[in-house]
Amino acid sequence: MEMVYIAAALIIGLGALGAGIGFGLLGGKLLDSTARQPEMANQLQTKAFIMAGLLDAVPMIGVGIAMYLIFVVAG
Amino acid sequence: MTGFRKAITHVPLKEWLIIEMVVLVVLSSLWLLESRAAGYSAFIGGLIFVIPNAYFAHRTYRFEGARQMQLAVSNMFRAASIKIALTAIFFAAVFTLMESVHGPALLFTFAVMVAIGTALRWLIRPRPQR
Repeated sequence: MEMVYIAAALIIGLGALGAGIGFGLLGGKLLDSTARQPEMANQLQTKAFIMAGLLDAVPMIGVGIAMYLIFVVAG
Repeated sequence: MTGFRKAITHVPLKEWLIIEMVVLVVLSSLWLLESRAAGYSAFIGGLIFVIPNAYFAHRTYRFEGARQMQLAVSNMFRAASIKIALTAIFFAAVFTLMESVHGPALLFTFAVMVAIGTALRWLIRPRPQR
C-alpha cells in the first residue's frame, strides 16, 4: 500500500518540478523579450498565457490521478 | 495596487466559459447514458477544471503592459500555483465527501476538459483593444 503513496508523491512532485522549470523559463523569457521590445508586451503576454495553459495541463492531470490513487485506490 | 490596472486586452473569459460549459453539459449527458452517478461525476470532473482555470485566466490579466510585466509574471506564477492547489483540493474533496464517485467518468471528463480548455485558449485568443 505504501507504494501507492510513493507513486502519488512521485506524480505530484515530478509534475510540480516540470511545471516549475517551465514557468521559470516562460516568465524569464517573457520579461527578457518585453525588455527588448516593450511595444510587443501585450502580444507577448497573450502568448505566454496560452503557453502557461499548455504547461499546466499535464501536472493538473497528474494531480487528478494522484488524488485518485491516494483517496480511492489506497483509501 | 489596483490603481495601476489597465484594461488593454479584452480577455474572452465569458466566451471560454460558455463554450466550456456547453461541452461539459454534452459530455455529462453522454456519461448519463452509462449511469446517473457517471453523469454526475463527469459534471463534477469538468467543474474541477473550469473553476480553477477561470480563476487563473482572471488573475493573469490583472496587470498588463511593459511597465507592469514583472507584476504580471509574478501574478501568473501565483495564479498557476493556486490553480493546481485548488484542483488538488477539489479532487480530494470529491473523493472524500461524495458517496458514489464514478472514477473513470470523473477523470476522463477532467482530462478532456483540460485538452478542450487549452485548445480554446489557442483558438479564441485574448484581443488587444485599439
